[in-house]
Amino acid sequence: MAISRRDLLKGAAVAGAATALAGRAEAREAVAPLPESVGMLFDATRCVGCRACVTKCKEVNELPYDRTPDGQYDAPNDLNGTTKNIIKAYAGGEQQTYMKQQCMHCLDPSCVSVCMMGALHKEAQGKRLMKGERPIATGIVLWDKDLCVGCRYCQIGCAFNVPKFEWDDAFPKIVKCELCRHRADPKKEGPLAVANPACCEVCPRQAVVYGKRADVLAEAKRRVAAEPERYAAKVFGEHDGGGTQVLYLAPKGVEFSALGLPVLPERSSAELSEKVSHAPYLHGITPIALYAGLAFVIKRNKKKEEAAEHGREGKR
Amino acid sequence: MNEMGSDVFGLETKGFSRRDFIKVCTTAAAAVGLPAWAGEKMAENVAKGRKPSVIWLHFQECTGCTESLLRTSHPDVAALILDLISVDYHETLFAAAGRQIEEALEKALHENEGKFVLVVEGAIPEKDGGIYCQVGGKKAIDTLHAVAAKAGAIIAIGSCASWGGVPSAAPNPTGATGVPQLLKGKTVVTLPGCPANPYNLLGTVLQFATFGTLPALDDLGRPKFAYGRVIHEDCQRRPHFDAGRFAQSFGDEGHRNGWCLYKLGCKGPQTHANCSLLDFCEVPGAWPVAIGHPCVGCTEQGIGFNVPIYTNLPIEKPTAPMAYPAVHPDHNVLGRGNGAIAIGVGSAIAGAVVGAGVMATRKLSSETEKDQGKE
Amino acid sequence: MSAHGHPKAIGGQLLGPSMVKLLALFALAAAVMLYRFVVGVGPVSNMTDGFTWGIWEPLNVVVFTGIGAGAFSVGLLTYAFNKGQYHGLVRPAVLVGAIAYTLGASSIVVALGRYWNAYWLPWVPYWNLSSALLEVAVCVIAYVTVLWVEVMPSVLEGAAASKHPRWAAIGKRWGPKLAKAMPFIIALAIVLPSMHQSSLGGLMLIAETKVHPLWHTALLPTLFLVSCLSMGFGAVVALVTILKLAWNGEHDQKLLAQLSKVNAGLLFFYVALRLGDIAWSGKLRYLGANFYTGLFLVEMALFLAPAILFLVPRVQANRGRLFGAALLAVLAGAAYRMDTYLSVYRPAGFDANGNAIPAGWQYFPSLGETIVTVGMAAVGVAIFIVVSRLFPVVVVDERSQHSKLERGAMKTAASR
Repeated sequence: MAISRRDLLKGAAVAGAATALAGRAEAREAVAPLPESVGMLFDATRCVGCRACVTKCKEVNELPYDRTPDGQYDAPNDLNGTTKNIIKAYAGGEQQTYMKQQCMHCLDPSCVSVCMMGALHKEAQGKRLMKGERPIATGIVLWDKDLCVGCRYCQIGCAFNVPKFEWDDAFPKIVKCELCRHRADPKKEGPLAVANPACCEVCPRQAVVYGKRADVLAEAKRRVAAEPERYAAKVFGEHDGGGTQVLYLAPKGVEFSALGLPVLPERSSAELSEKVSHAPYLHGITPIALYAGLAFVIKRNKKKEEAAEHGREGKR
Repeated sequence: MNEMGSDVFGLETKGFSRRDFIKVCTTAAAAVGLPAWAGEKMAENVAKGRKPSVIWLHFQECTGCTESLLRTSHPDVAALILDLISVDYHETLFAAAGRQIEEALEKALHENEGKFVLVVEGAIPEKDGGIYCQVGGKKAIDTLHAVAAKAGAIIAIGSCASWGGVPSAAPNPTGATGVPQLLKGKTVVTLPGCPANPYNLLGTVLQFATFGTLPALDDLGRPKFAYGRVIHEDCQRRPHFDAGRFAQSFGDEGHRNGWCLYKLGCKGPQTHANCSLLDFCEVPGAWPVAIGHPCVGCTEQGIGFNVPIYTNLPIEKPTAPMAYPAVHPDHNVLGRGNGAIAIGVGSAIAGAVVGAGVMATRKLSSETEKDQGKE
Repeated sequence: MSAHGHPKAIGGQLLGPSMVKLLALFALAAAVMLYRFVVGVGPVSNMTDGFTWGIWEPLNVVVFTGIGAGAFSVGLLTYAFNKGQYHGLVRPAVLVGAIAYTLGASSIVVALGRYWNAYWLPWVPYWNLSSALLEVAVCVIAYVTVLWVEVMPSVLEGAAASKHPRWAAIGKRWGPKLAKAMPFIIALAIVLPSMHQSSLGGLMLIAETKVHPLWHTALLPTLFLVSCLSMGFGAVVALVTILKLAWNGEHDQKLLAQLSKVNAGLLFFYVALRLGDIAWSGKLRYLGANFYTGLFLVEMALFLAPAILFLVPRVQANRGRLFGAALLAVLAGAAYRMDTYLSVYRPAGFDANGNAIPAGWQYFPSLGETIVTVGMAAVGVAIFIVVSRLFPVVVVDERSQHSKLERGAMKTAASR
């Protein structure tokens, strides 16, 4: 009896590992773009590096200007606790290519997948509606200051290294682009009622444009088709990492990876992580069964041992 | 003061001093990027009567380049220019007309053959055998070839002469063409601009007269001292561009505050000229960007009179006064604060932990061996 | 089955010179932590947006709890697989576990940026079950509670034996009740760590571009689970040896050797799993003359060395050698954990050949971070000493008097 039980238990323990191996016990669907999702298109062939968007972003998001460690004003050199949008330069190729970096608003964001209590969540799809959040599924990734514990797992998870932390603050926040949803005008219709990114508004070359994801994706494809000699053939973000709501066009001959965009599979990291992690749990059955089995076995073992001790040394 | 003798236009009557004269020459020298002593040398040569002979041909043009040359405010212009150079043929400036003036041309050609400077103002029509521009019954294209063959140096002033300019704008009914396109194989200094900055001409001519050389030219024949950089690079509104402050429309807050005009269609980023550095006719602020209008790109072939004035262009040669961050910028985090100490202490502790483990194991195992040996 | 003796309170002077040193180290760490709460995490650490967890998460949480997993591994062996002979190891292992987990959890509070929001964590409706960290957090909070409950029998026993009547009454009243509930608590103490230890590996699944391909695999949870068991067994062997030296704790070389044989199996299993996975998923091409291969080989050597040593009779028979091998097993797991979380973590990821894309971020723990880690370890040791002196945790070997007793233990022996 006891041996068979033991074997059963061993089997259960091994089964956990085995399901992890298989990793496909639970179907975790890929996330499709929301019908109302909004996004941006950044066309690196149009950007002239004027940084109007960087300045305007700071202004409308009320972010302080950067300072060097000794207190002098300085231009930010990367996204950071006071910079949600940055223009960087890639010097390779025929001439300098500019790269705009801000939150990608992934279709299936890693940061949302890993956030413990859904502080980072897609608008209207979180654990709760935070203050000022509208019940519109725009796909914008928001940060709820009251649910964030500052664990910074989002920074580990984000392949684009977008979420930033206020390191020098006793009460720090996670800082990242929210597509200027606070500038939305509910009186307007369409995407402008949802968000109104200042960067798109001030860009002198319309290098970055805002609209529904479907529209900007169509526009991106139109541009590539119209001028194949000008653009790299791929629209970054259409499928990369499960797809993003901010899309990128690069000049022909310039790799997206050279512009700092990671090489990602079409499946999102969240999908992999959740599939593998959830698989052994079988919707929570495994731990409960394991617990029940263990409690039973341990109780039996203990009784037997006590009986043996009782026989040997008398009552304790 | 030693008043300088002059036979033309009575400089003495205007009380023009030698000192002023040297100043003008020095300014002209500086414009071509020559040192001050070159200006003095120019002045000396002029004083000795070795003035460069200039033949000035007018073709399809508005005479704007000549007009601007006559309007340099300081030094007292026309007089000076006409004193510095010996204009032996100039249809606008000459009092004579008709046969008389054509004879003067012939005379100048023979007297200074191979030495004179030919300045061409205006485009030359090529269509239908060049019949659309004739002076004294001679077709412009024939005159050009005839004069150019004997010239010591050829300068095309203004955009029309340099590459066609206004007359060549689409649909270009006369087939207007620039001088370099017609005189293939010859060195033609082009000074595009509508009109060209007179100082660029003055400097070039004086350098040739003084040293017999021409300034360094780019592949379009433009002197590099004036056309080596685009207007955007030295623009007075550049700080606004770098800070992302753009006028969105004429008369808006940004426009009134003197912000960058790029978004209004400024061609400065692709236009090669020194407008932003060398005041036009020495009048400060007398150029489009300074008065609140985007640069129209008048010097640049393919842009001026071709691209609509308010069309926005990409930026050529996007050099910036400040560096842009790299795609993966260096954050230099370990360099700050107690980096070296932290590394030292951290490594020491890690080492100590491992070392303690090793020592304890060794000691313990040898002790145990001893004990076991005893037993 | 060897008859196991009963644990005894060690007694002796609480505030000895070594205790003062430990507490001084902790005081230093406490000062740094206090400073951190005033100025933020940045000024005391070298953590950046690139290396956002520094060493506090990988070392203070992932490695500390790995060491603390002795409670889990010994518990699993003793109770679930009914190997009663290991019973004597349970209480010290559980105490170490309780301390290590408590310290891990409290270190996290120091590292958390917005710790004041953490009170929401037990609120089930806000749980994002996709988050491996949530699972770890909830599980660790629960497990810390369970571990201290597991420590309670010692405390209650100590209370029952106390001269103070009220204290003794509490001990006598609650001791047996707790003993009855123990199976259910022990079962929890096995389920919880197997969940969160695998989740600690699962944590890094999301960073698929950032963790070097030789380390990033769908087997991360499994490998972390196996490595925590091997670390735990190693830690228990080392602990028992140290207790023997310090307080003449019961030290059954044969038992430890037997335990280590189990551990050898685990270590071999880990290596087989790791190598098999790398070969099977076609990652052998990343092996070459580079830093990552070197690190990988060092890791493999660290896992294989104790595994082989545990099977060598000369090592099995020698207390010192077994101790060394056990330390190696702990080091192996610690190295694997630190590597996965830090050494092979690159914010900008890797190119197709497995070379890191330079991201412009560098990391080495700052003085502040090191001080906090050391201070946390020190206070852990201090708590262990205090609890063992006051309550029956350690089984003292009464048959033989070892010559090298620590002063405290000598006094205890003398007073007995």
